[in-house]
Amino acid sequence: MFNLNICHLYPDLLNTYGDRGNMLALQRRAMWHGINANITNITIGTAFDSSAFDIVFLGGGQDFEQEIIQKDLLDQKGSEIKNAISSMKVFLCICGGYQLMGKYYKTWDGKEIEFLGALDLWTVGGSERMIGNIVFESDIINDNGNPLKIVGFENHSGRTYLGDGIRPFGKVLSGNGNNGTDGFEGAIYNNVYCSYSHGSLLPKNPVLTDHLLSLALKQKYADFDSLGELDDTFENAARTTVIQRILR
Amino acid sequence: MKLRQFIAIFVSKSTILALHLIRRGGTTLPGKVASKLYPGILKSIAKDFEIIMVTGTNGKTTTTRIIEEILKKNNIDYITNKSGANLLSGVTTLFIQAVSVCGKPKHKVALIESDEAAFNQVTKHLQPNTVVVTNFFRDQLDRYGELYSTLNAVKSGLERIDDTTTIVLNADDSMCASLGINTSKRVIYYGVNQNAYQGSSEDINSDAMFCIFCKNKYTYTNHIYGHLGGFHCTNCGYSRPTADLECTGIQEAGSSYTTISWKCTSALLQDDKELITRINLPGLYNVYNAMSAAACGLALNYSVDTVTSALESFESGFGRMESINVEDKTIKLILVKNPTGFNQVLSFLALDSTALNVAFLINDNLADGTDISWLWDVDFEQLNSISDKIDGLITSGVRGEDMAVRLKYSGLDTHKIRIIKDYHMLIDEGLKKTPSGGCFYILPTYTAMLDIRSILMKKFNLKEFWK
Repeated sequence: MFNLNICHLYPDLLNTYGDRGNMLALQRRAMWHGINANITNITIGTAFDSSAFDIVFLGGGQDFEQEIIQKDLLDQKGSEIKNAISSMKVFLCICGGYQLMGKYYKTWDGKEIEFLGALDLWTVGGSERMIGNIVFESDIINDNGNPLKIVGFENHSGRTYLGDGIRPFGKVLSGNGNNGTDGFEGAIYNNVYCSYSHGSLLPKNPVLTDHLLSLALKQKYADFDSLGELDDTFENAARTTVIQRILR
Repeated sequence: MKLRQFIAIFVSKSTILALHLIRRGGTTLPGKVASKLYPGILKSIAKDFEIIMVTGTNGKTTTTRIIEEILKKNNIDYITNKSGANLLSGVTTLFIQAVSVCGKPKHKVALIESDEAAFNQVTKHLQPNTVVVTNFFRDQLDRYGELYSTLNAVKSGLERIDDTTTIVLNADDSMCASLGINTSKRVIYYGVNQNAYQGSSEDINSDAMFCIFCKNKYTYTNHIYGHLGGFHCTNCGYSRPTADLECTGIQEAGSSYTTISWKCTSALLQDDKELITRINLPGLYNVYNAMSAAACGLALNYSVDTVTSALESFESGFGRMESINVEDKTIKLILVKNPTGFNQVLSFLALDSTALNVAFLINDNLADGTDISWLWDVDFEQLNSISDKIDGLITSGVRGEDMAVRLKYSGLDTHKIRIIKDYHMLIDEGLKKTPSGGCFYILPTYTAMLDIRSILMKKFNLKEFWK
């Protein structure tokens, strides 16, 4: 039986926007596919050993909580996270978790807050929040021969910009995405997937969830081939309802 | 003034009359008109009222209505706003209606429910004598922004008002209780004693786990629910304050009432003996609502007899838990709007001993919150422990499909989950499955509640089954 170890980083601090749903989706779908998934919560003061995990998840938090973790993230977990990324571990980073992987956050009055610097991207604070449903299309993930349309909900004031080595996750079809101007949403580097979309993101985008599970299984097991089909009636109904509603 | 004020009141009152004539019960437009004509109108006409304000994220409406019951028991001549009119314009309309054209008050007391995000605005105009703050739980982040901003807005509002004001705060909520630190106002705390209720252990997904003053992680002597409980910061020493009014025991948690014991310190009552009261509301969250209202009543020097009789006779309204009898079955409507409230409703459902049929009506209009991510912060997983009792789960509303996904990922049997978008069909199906003498629960978000109510009214020929 295949076995996946999933790490939820700072679940008690980065938990603002229902991102717990992403963990549920990984765990349940793994189970339904006949794969054993263990979730480990790791927070401030607990050691993070990246070799113990196959998938790492970071959610979004409020400013108050993001300030609390910053030191621990940079000093205690930073180098392990960078190791994990270069050894092709699968990461999913949402909203604040996405920003924290970048180099810095520049506030509206020009103050620069140092972030992890694991990915070549950076965020600049804006005065208006970008709030609403978002649909974006990713040609990195195949959905029956078409680029996958992914639905979520964004709520952020930071504008994120990508450096040269970083690919956007997808092209915005409706919504703001990374910065509201260049038309892209999220970031991908090695097996790190970043997005502003919560909603939660994974439960109603099952193809994406299975894509992440498959990536992790391929990394770990040479004899893993592919995941089977599941009954996704509810998930697809939820996803297409939103797509039809906002992409009229 | 006073000509400008006269004109503003006159035009605004005429607007109310005109809206009434065309059968529109406008609660915000008249206030907007008046403020436009005379921005100082509210401050001017409200100054002679004794004002009680209620704010916070959860339980405002129920708390306000219980305080109203206390006022009634004391034969107080009061005015109060409905929950849908708890922004500045709605409050202004209320006061316009309550004064003569010359601006003279026609009543003594004004009991005001204020939206937590509007509290800072409203207190620019009103000078409350008493403010009750219920709690701070995450709620509609798309609308209110981060929880700490909400807390800070309420804090600024409190700082603005006179030091003669009494503030009534939840001792078990570290955010709410922090409003009583470094203030020269009279502070009354209410709470639930650690021996009264053994809540679950730490909820990793809860709000406010780190000290509001120094960002150190709190330790807890006990948990009630969410982040409520006996918090303590080992770094700066901030900890749960002693409650002046405290629930000391829960004798019986029924499906329509809760019997509790409670007592007060001398800050509220000379007599410190334990009282036993049967609150006419079910659910632990309503114990908090009852305690906050009682603390407010006693702080205002109303007798303990009138306070307890208000708790015992209070009837909830407007979707906060309404019942409709259909032949030998009951439909119960319970509003859901944020994770903590929803969790409490789910624990309440577990008290029902018969087969459970529940409909979840989830909309994402502005008044519901346009972001439905919050559904993933609700602990539907707790339903697994009563899965044998669950007969049928229906999901509906604009986001009925998302709700079905949520239930599926909680691990419940998907055969029990159905999406029925048509409300007529939903009511028929739900009632059909409900056994005789049983209850069909409908849990709608705010705008879904408005829709389902009007359908229920027509369907069962009800004439204003609510007030």
